[in-house]
Amino acid sequence: MARLNDDAQWIVLMGFIVSFSLFFLAIVLNQATVVGQTTAEAVSEFPKEDIRGVRDVTIQSLFLDNNGPYTNQTNVQNEIRILSLNREDSVVQFSSQTDGTHTYLNFHYNNGVTAYNETYTYP
Amino acid sequence: MVNRDAQLYTIEGIAASLIILLTAYIVLNSTSIYTPGDSHINDMQLEVIGSDALSMMNTPVNGSAGTSALQAVIENNDSAGFNTIFSNILNNRTGATPDTIQFLANVTYVVPAGPNTGNVNTYRLNASRLLYGGEHAVRVSQWVIVDTYSPALGHDIFPECVFAQCRGKHAALVEVLLWRD
Repeated sequence: MARLNDDAQWIVLMGFIVSFSLFFLAIVLNQATVVGQTTAEAVSEFPKEDIRGVRDVTIQSLFLDNNGPYTNQTNVQNEIRILSLNREDSVVQFSSQTDGTHTYLNFHYNNGVTAYNETYTYP
Repeated sequence: MVNRDAQLYTIEGIAASLIILLTAYIVLNSTSIYTPGDSHINDMQLEVIGSDALSMMNTPVNGSAGTSALQAVIENNDSAGFNTIFSNILNNRTGATPDTIQFLANVTYVVPAGPNTGNVNTYRLNASRLLYGGEHAVRVSQWVIVDTYSPALGHDIFPECVFAQCRGKHAALVEVLLWRD
């Protein structure tokens, strides 16, 4: 080979191809760990359980009665706002109105990083 | 000096050096160092277990509109019951040896009556053991709407409320710290 004859060109070429394809596989493996970490970080930073929890309890509060002297619905909804701000570091704002057939709950959640808005309709 | 000898030796040398450089690059690049900031990925698993356990406790039997186990525990101030149910959900697993997850549970609420009306206050629900400061705990929480007057106890469940002065439904947040021993 070093004396410039034409033997074994295919063997040398295949050697190069195999070695370079090994590099590509190594790069893919190399990226796999980083991709896993980035995904896990993105998932853990999204406040899924917080949003789900406060949304659920807000929807539950729609079905409370608001008769005197206890005014359950007003009390509970105010307490949800206060507790969210104090203990969950999030601003929660919601209001509901009904058009006779449906009741609409406009729900807003913001913890400074993630904002979540929803209109919940029932029935 | 410039003749055509050993051209392929040179090419081979360049190719080999490229291969060595690339290998070194990939090998050095593959190490990932586990820093304290990365521990939230492990914490996430504990958070998932804790959130699921609390959600299970806060689901009424058969999906009925009745009271969930978590509501019942708070309305009856049943800290022993909370310990039994929550510890079982957290620590039972396939096989004889249970897991070793520890918890400390508080109930946070808005004071509905008395001189501190509107303040946010907390009382202890139960703890499998107290925190000594070395634990690496994660926090999970669950919302409940509870009837603050407990017929079973004959008095209100929030400490500030006496003589049934804050009857009715109120929102409360069950906050749990979880860690492994």
